[in-house]
Amino acid sequence: MSREEVLNKVIEVVYECAPELEGTPLYENTVINTDTGIDSMGFTLIICRLEATFDVRIPSRQWNKLNTLGAVVDAIYKRLPKDK
Amino acid sequence: MKYRSFKELLEYNAEKYPEYSAFIYGSEKNSLTNREFKERVYKRSEELDKEAFSVLGILCDGSIDCVIEIFACVLTRKQLVLFNQNIPDEILKELIDYTDVDRLYGDEELVEEFEDKLSHGITERNGNILFFTSGTTQRSKAVVLNERSLLASAYNGSDALPLTKDDILLNMLPLDHVFGFVCGLLWGITNQATVALGRGLRHSVEDCLFFRPTALSAVPMLWGFLLKQKAINPELKLVLIGAGDCSDELLQAGKAMGIRISFGYGMTETSSGVAISVEGDPRAMQVCKEDEITIAEDGEILVRADTCMMSGYYKMKQETEEVLKDGILYTGDLGYLDEEGKLHITGRKKEMIIMDDGTKVFLPEYEKELMTVLNNTELCVVKRENSLRLVIQSDEDEESIIAKIKAINDMRPRSQQINKIEKRKEALPRTASGKVKRWEI
Repeated sequence: MSREEVLNKVIEVVYECAPELEGTPLYENTVINTDTGIDSMGFTLIICRLEATFDVRIPSRQWNKLNTLGAVVDAIYKRLPKDK
Repeated sequence: MKYRSFKELLEYNAEKYPEYSAFIYGSEKNSLTNREFKERVYKRSEELDKEAFSVLGILCDGSIDCVIEIFACVLTRKQLVLFNQNIPDEILKELIDYTDVDRLYGDEELVEEFEDKLSHGITERNGNILFFTSGTTQRSKAVVLNERSLLASAYNGSDALPLTKDDILLNMLPLDHVFGFVCGLLWGITNQATVALGRGLRHSVEDCLFFRPTALSAVPMLWGFLLKQKAINPELKLVLIGAGDCSDELLQAGKAMGIRISFGYGMTETSSGVAISVEGDPRAMQVCKEDEITIAEDGEILVRADTCMMSGYYKMKQETEEVLKDGILYTGDLGYLDEEGKLHITGRKKEMIIMDDGTKVFLPEYEKELMTVLNNTELCVVKRENSLRLVIQSDEDEESIIAKIKAINDMRPRSQQINKIEKRKEALPRTASGKVKRWEI
């Protein structure tokens, strides 16, 4: 799976978890808490869905550092098995 | 019943209801009876007693092992410090030094990483239990509590909101926060209810439906989240909300489901709640049994809570004397007592700026107006050189912002008008619960 495919999937999951964002464009540099208004519980939900979707585990100690969608994509991408 | 020590509590529960579940936990819904809980705590306590350390820091993950470690350490009377397990490394190091931690318990990788970064400990067994304040207006301080103050707080809360042994209290709050520790854990244990230990953030959506609690302690954000996700089980009948106000919409949604919502007001310094709403308006809170609340002339809430009060901030004599005078805590919160003597909270004193002309600006209200006209929540108002400045994260040009806030400015006296805009590229610094850290701006 390419990084771009991961990004597209991440955006899809964010829209699923936060349907109120429909119509709001999301990009790699979208800042999660300010540009989307998603609070920390909403963010937790998104991360959990992403972990399940990609079958990866991002240590919770690192969640606070994932400020942009791009950072989330990087955290997932580097944990993907090479053949995935 | 009022307990004076964790030992007395363990003995009572194990003798009176030995085979009753003290805890349910994990994805297998494991159960630990009162008898087993006591045995495991005693066994671990004996081990800790012999080990060569004086201050134990626990990285709280809310697991059963974590709960046992906490109780076991308290029984040894060695100093205990409760840390949030997601705390950044550099801050953890700073807090380990500050609180003299010479043994760390929790996530193995992290404990190993900090093995050579521990402090030198202390020389006496003092029975201290240290919790950190959340720090919206200043840096976190370690508040010195003990088993007696925490149990007294649980007793006071239970007097207003009793649980029974048939209740299941679900704890989804961090145990390193005094509200989570007292209202998510001790509230259940001291009432012989079963405490269901939430399985962590990853299971936030499922835990209510999984453990089927009858009671829950929650912060407003968690309660809103559970409602939004339709993650509430039908057996839930009581929700205690603390650490902030929540909207009428969230209150009504709970009521519509037949759930009683109570608010609790308290601080880390008072070992959690000193006022709780019992019936009627959830924002009108009755003062707890052993506590006394008065309102200062400027509206500040003053608390006398002899049985629950902290002994001070750890190694911060001056800071302690600034807020604790003759046994009365100057909370920094604003509120009033109604004709029935019930407490209502109106805001934080430190969120109120007094201008040089003596007029007062109440920041949350002011900022809410600005957020509405600017359609941007990433802003705050600060006082610089006796004038008000709007600090905002925005790409919008300054003229446009000024034009948008003109109507707000025009309605206020000159001293209270925003006279400068300070744009930031980065988001405002916030605490874990989302409150702006004003002291960092």
